[in-house]
Amino acid sequence: MSVLSKLEETLICLKAGRVTLAYPAQAEATPENFRGRPIFDATKCVGCAGCANNCPAREILVFDLCQEIRILQYLGRRCTYCGRCADVCPEKAITMSREFENATNRIADMGQKLDLFMSTCQRCGRCFKGAAALDELKMKGYRSDDIAHERWVYGAHSFMESEPAADDIQIELD
Amino acid sequence: MIAREMFEEFKARFGPLIDRADLPNDRRLFVYVDRTVVQYVCQHIFRELDARYVASIGTDDRPFSGKFLVAHNFAFDKDHVLCSVLTQLPEDDLKIDSITRMVPAASWAEREMRDLLGIQPVGHEYLKRLVLPDGWPEGSHPLRKDVPWNEVPADYDENREFEFGATPEGCTVVPFGPFHPTLDEPAHFRLYVEGERVRGCEYRGFMVHRGIEKLAESVMSYNDIPLLAERICGICGCVHSVAYVQAVEEAAALKVPPRAEYIRTIMLELERLHSHLLWVGLACHIVGFDTLFMQSFRIREPIMWIAEKISGNRKTYAICLVGGVRRDITHELKAELRVVLDKLEREWRPVVEAVSGDRNIQKRTCGVGVADKVAVKSSGLVGPVARAAGVEIDCRRDHPYAAYDRVEFDVITAESADVWGRVVVRMKEVFESIRIIRQCLDKMEDGPLGLEIKDELPVGRMGLSSVEAPRGESHHFVITGENNRPRRWRVRAPTYQNLQGVAAMIKDQQIADMTISLGSIDPCFSCTDRMETIDVRSGARKVWSQKELLELTWAKMDRETK
Repeated sequence: MSVLSKLEETLICLKAGRVTLAYPAQAEATPENFRGRPIFDATKCVGCAGCANNCPAREILVFDLCQEIRILQYLGRRCTYCGRCADVCPEKAITMSREFENATNRIADMGQKLDLFMSTCQRCGRCFKGAAALDELKMKGYRSDDIAHERWVYGAHSFMESEPAADDIQIELD
Repeated sequence: MIAREMFEEFKARFGPLIDRADLPNDRRLFVYVDRTVVQYVCQHIFRELDARYVASIGTDDRPFSGKFLVAHNFAFDKDHVLCSVLTQLPEDDLKIDSITRMVPAASWAEREMRDLLGIQPVGHEYLKRLVLPDGWPEGSHPLRKDVPWNEVPADYDENREFEFGATPEGCTVVPFGPFHPTLDEPAHFRLYVEGERVRGCEYRGFMVHRGIEKLAESVMSYNDIPLLAERICGICGCVHSVAYVQAVEEAAALKVPPRAEYIRTIMLELERLHSHLLWVGLACHIVGFDTLFMQSFRIREPIMWIAEKISGNRKTYAICLVGGVRRDITHELKAELRVVLDKLEREWRPVVEAVSGDRNIQKRTCGVGVADKVAVKSSGLVGPVARAAGVEIDCRRDHPYAAYDRVEFDVITAESADVWGRVVVRMKEVFESIRIIRQCLDKMEDGPLGLEIKDELPVGRMGLSSVEAPRGESHHFVITGENNRPRRWRVRAPTYQNLQGVAAMIKDQQIADMTISLGSIDPCFSCTDRMETIDVRSGARKVWSQKELLELTWAKMDRETK
């Protein structure tokens, strides 16, 4: 009985033949809708920061240098290539590429930085309105990420519930 | 019996002891009871009504109701009902009677509650740290709402070690883990060994606890979490993601379009296929039979490729969002998937036949790691471990979700209750999964992939979801909340229960069988059992202390970096 099963097992191995791929000498093409490294297109990006607010790993940072210039930085360190950013982007400025061989000695190689000129519309010109009610990141305060330390930061003291808003401004009524 | 009838019975028996009850549908029952009778109610449910223990959840509800909440979840598998027994605790008296005397399976959950929320289970016999690191100060409970998600207490002592209990008389200590070649993740078992026999063990794990639940309820939003949940586990990621979205959908009463349900079912079954093939391979590898390990991995590979084609990645499918799925399965993909399934079935059948008769594998697995029906009931064991003991539970049939109520399949069981039984169950389940996917491909109807959610989700509702992962039931509990994120999200992975049964499985067994016993539950966690060195020539014996070993490691690392 057991001898028979040993023979069967041998047969399975023999029938299998050689299946090892000749990778990396010969790389198989990744499928068409593969989710590889996201590529950001600065010419299409309007700087709404929808991607930044919907990134589960919080790998996209936004920082406003001044009223007209916004920096959008993709860090790419912990990015899980889930493709949520590409999904929510209203301008289709993000594409999930077919790149996956991304090993590097310098983690900064993975990042992309966009300096965006923000023209002013009648309102503020920088609003992202998600397709669904769930595509919104609701935190207290406003977003002002720490680009130097590559950290996402939400908040401003004046928005804390327990503290009055902008208490450093004294308005003299007379 | 539906939830309403069950509630009528509860009312007849407990009457005024029930404060409140919620019956959102026929298959869910939330009963609020007074804290003094929790033990009594749980005993009745677990022993007399013979329900299966699922999980206990603690939550800080102070910002909303001013109180803490404790929920003990049970499953009535034959009646298809999930029942939650809830209790409110005032802030100034955080004590609750431990239910571990009647329900031993609740042991870890109550220890976790004590670590993370500071809720004291009165009467619990083994109140050691479970989740928090040993140097974490007493009185600091990270899951409380007033603790920020990124807080590390100032007096956190990184170097403090876990204190193990006394070694039983006549026993030698063999450390198993935290890193072991047969395990992929860290967990430490301190085995008490008499000769070659294991007499007992003490466990210390949770070394890679990542605080995902806290992140979810403080800085993430509803649609971020499915993608985070998927990373809880490298094997059954899609299971966690589906379980989470289903819990949210249930809480918010969202009805998912049928096509999305079919796609979820197909992805879950694809995941089961790859996981079962992987596990059978690994189990063979652990007992030293690498031929079959290679063959299972070879047979498994096309599954990974087709998953990549459908979802965009081999393993982390990232296919679920609240209200639906992100990607469609087109006609071309359907045709390709059928071809893959045919090939898999053709190749897997001879493997099952060959292994069924292989006496080498049977000798290593028969009678090893036994967990019988009693152990299954008391430790709350799930999945193939329970089914191998003849306990016929399967969430796909008992608590149907996604499209499982529209497909036919058999629940595979075995009677031997040992590792061999688990091998048989998992090998045969592969065919059931193939059958399920084929039916889904036939029945899948056209339609939208997801719901349009225009409004914010209702606040303060509860949702339960049990999803049958390849290694057992994965249970998620969600309370919806403000600011587009849940108030509380609790994940009970199958290994959480199954690991609690390991101590009983390995007792009085050969130490060499430890690896396969542990491997047989398919634990989601690794070992340097090199604590003692013997100089062969002089026979001199030296026991290295952990400190010495650490210093040795650091010295070596320094040498190599220079």
